[in-house]
Amino acid sequence: MVALEIRELSVTLSGKEILKDINLSLEEGKFLGIVGPNGSGKTTFLKSILGLIKPLAEMVRVLGKSSEECLREGVFGYVPQHLNLDIHFPARAIDVVTMGLYGRLGFFRWPSKKDKEKASEYIELIGMSGHENFPFGEMSGGEQQRISIARALVSNPKILILDEPSTGIDVVGQEDFYHLLKGFQKRFGLTIIMVSHDIGAVTAYVDEIACLNKILYYHGAPLGALDENVLERLYGKNVDILIHSDVCDKCERLRK
Amino acid sequence: MEILSYGFMQRAVVTGIAISMLAGVISVFVVLRRVSFVGSGISHAAFGGVAIGFLAGVNPVITAMIYSILVAFGIEKISSKGRVAEDTAIGVFFSSSMALGIVLISLSKNYNVDLFGYLFGSILAISESEMWLTIAATVVILAVIMMIMKELLFTTFNEELAIVSGIPTRLIKSLFLLSMAVAIVISIKVVGIILVSALLVIPGAVAQLLSRSFYPMMLMSCAVALFSTIAGLYLSYQFDLSPGGTIVLIITALFFAAFLRARK
Repeated sequence: MVALEIRELSVTLSGKEILKDINLSLEEGKFLGIVGPNGSGKTTFLKSILGLIKPLAEMVRVLGKSSEECLREGVFGYVPQHLNLDIHFPARAIDVVTMGLYGRLGFFRWPSKKDKEKASEYIELIGMSGHENFPFGEMSGGEQQRISIARALVSNPKILILDEPSTGIDVVGQEDFYHLLKGFQKRFGLTIIMVSHDIGAVTAYVDEIACLNKILYYHGAPLGALDENVLERLYGKNVDILIHSDVCDKCERLRK
Repeated sequence: MEILSYGFMQRAVVTGIAISMLAGVISVFVVLRRVSFVGSGISHAAFGGVAIGFLAGVNPVITAMIYSILVAFGIEKISSKGRVAEDTAIGVFFSSSMALGIVLISLSKNYNVDLFGYLFGSILAISESEMWLTIAATVVILAVIMMIMKELLFTTFNEELAIVSGIPTRLIKSLFLLSMAVAIVISIKVVGIILVSALLVIPGAVAQLLSRSFYPMMLMSCAVALFSTIAGLYLSYQFDLSPGGTIVLIITALFFAAFLRARK
């Protein structure tokens, strides 16, 4: 089934054209990476899918439905770039993960013991057991990011959407992180859409890549995005890309 | 205990307990949502509503409540358009409502009105019907907040995440704003327009300094409000002080004690 169908998506915010004529379709269960320079409209693109920005309804269909229907059904798990949270916000890691279930509970109903157990299970799944009672606001960027993923996954979403999740994580941590995501994709049959500024690292883990800078420059297999012509159009001239993948791209290019 | 034999003291204690619970719960969200200045704006705007009541010969609490709710949503509406910052919108409503109040009161030529009571509180002069009105409003507001508590917490944590989880954040925010406006007007009876923001802000601030998760923070906040109100009433009776002022000074002392403790 098609997870995401985007037709001629254009978004203008405060008179500025952010996205223009984007067409893209993604099969269920795929891992899509979205790359592009700063200010290229990547976050706006995610928010249009999530229904946080409302383009014309026919432009975005998720699992054959409108974004609004998907929000009601809890289709998405979302990990934003920044939480802008006060470090003294009174919530422990377990509280934050449990929040992921609030939308399903309804008014006047409190999380049950079972809900809390489920939250603990997901904290274990992301490799953070023992941190349940740690104040969320005082955690490092990487730890918060992992807890956020547990929060996004605990409600069993069909599509996981992440905005620059590796910000604040060191390079070694990043590889672990992408590995973890890859594992969730297989285990839960998740569709993952992830924005990253790090094109090199992403290509090794995703199934498809989309290069975005107001318009969609490329959408297809990850290695295709490393084509010099694509990169030059996306980022401008004089860009040298370091790639962390099994394939030595420089060698490939030299061989040609 | 002999002070409780007076009817006015019994009414003051009962009203004080109700308002402490209200202030304790609301102030947690006032602090976490960083809307203490909104609260201050609404309480001062209530002065305009009180004056309308005096002039029209209606119970000023009723007119103040309606007026404050309108101002609360007015501030929200104007600042949400993005052209005017929230603190600017508050500044506009704050002073203009007080100006309206002054003009209306000078117009009424009724200098017998208990202005001082509204500005600085008159908890010892509360009538039985006012006490019941306070209790009823407290029960309704606490029920509303209980209903939306976890949704409001999530919306405060991060609004976009709450939306993605299917929470109707607009409704939640409006219900909170409404509850806050009503709570402020009700609390004016105890500490007055000028001091009410202390009651709506400081219990939550003390609790945040001393707790690391939400429910303990809520309990602590209610305890701080309750202790200050009761202790304030007692001390003001013993030493013949202004009850509203004494309550606020006690809460403030607790704040500094908590601040020093939390710094360690």
